[in-house]
Amino acid sequence: MSQDALVAQMRRGTLQYCVLAMLATQERYAFELVRALSEEDGMVTSEGTIYPLLSRLRRDGLVHTTWRESTTGPPRRYYELTAAGRSALAAFAEEWSRFRDAVDRFMEGRVQA
Amino acid sequence: MRPAADRLVDDYLRRLDSELRDLPRARRRELRQEIAEHIDEARDGLAAESEADVRNLLERLGEPAEIAAEARERLGVHPRRAGFIEVAAIVLLPVGGVVIPVLGWIAGVILLWVSEAWTVRDKLIGTLVVPGGLLVPVYLALAAGDSTSCSGSFDAAGRVISRSCSDGGSGLWHALAGIGIVALVLAPLITAVYLGRRMRRPAAPTALTSARRAASAP
Repeated sequence: MSQDALVAQMRRGTLQYCVLAMLATQERYAFELVRALSEEDGMVTSEGTIYPLLSRLRRDGLVHTTWRESTTGPPRRYYELTAAGRSALAAFAEEWSRFRDAVDRFMEGRVQA
Repeated sequence: MRPAADRLVDDYLRRLDSELRDLPRARRRELRQEIAEHIDEARDGLAAESEADVRNLLERLGEPAEIAAEARERLGVHPRRAGFIEVAAIVLLPVGGVVIPVLGWIAGVILLWVSEAWTVRDKLIGTLVVPGGLLVPVYLALAAGDSTSCSGSFDAAGRVISRSCSDGGSGLWHALAGIGIVALVLAPLITAVYLGRRMRRPAAPTALTSARRAASAP
């Protein structure tokens, strides 16, 4: 696998947990979620590709959506974490910090043979 | 400026619909609706909407084909490659009825409807243009041949003394019938080619798609 493809795969694999993490503190509507992700450098190449991910998270029961009236326009669909979403996020957060710390130790030359 | 912007959005959503064709209906509807909502929301946020603004927001959203590829990958949809059923349907629809009268064509229709490679619209086209396939023009050509009648007079020993044949129709009638038969021969063949082309494309292999995405990343 080329380095570019590897980076793309890493981004793909972690994106869903970034979405779950964004919903951990507050519920958000899709547009807001997508804009915030796309403004983060290097996370997504085009906004539209986040929607299939949201669709899958919903199918898998990790997020739940509710329509809410909006003060500025038509009603909006809000995304929130389900209990399953919350535990998937917690499990990933733990794995991720262990993995990140291990890789960092190699990258910083702290692991000696 | 509004109509031009509306046209851009309509065109975008139409392309999206066509790209999302092979997803399960519920997922397709959901995605289509969410993306339409996204566009509305983004347009509402524009102070004075120009055509360029709308172009920019659609560009930011990404190509419909890219969104559809992502959806196939994320949702694990792997459209079938042309398998035995599809090839058999494409062959049986035009020629099946000629080889095994009527039943061969019916078998083709059953396979056409069983397959998941076509939309309902394509299946209707495949069924209705032309029912029976090439059986219809073949039958008509044979019937036209039969209508040529001959009369003769025989002598006492049964030998033909004189014989005259009439084709029972005018030149114009013949020309029209000829054109009709040619059309009836071409229609099922063109439909078969059409069905071959409309078959859902196989999903791009995962590694290839990600490599392409990586290459197009800034």
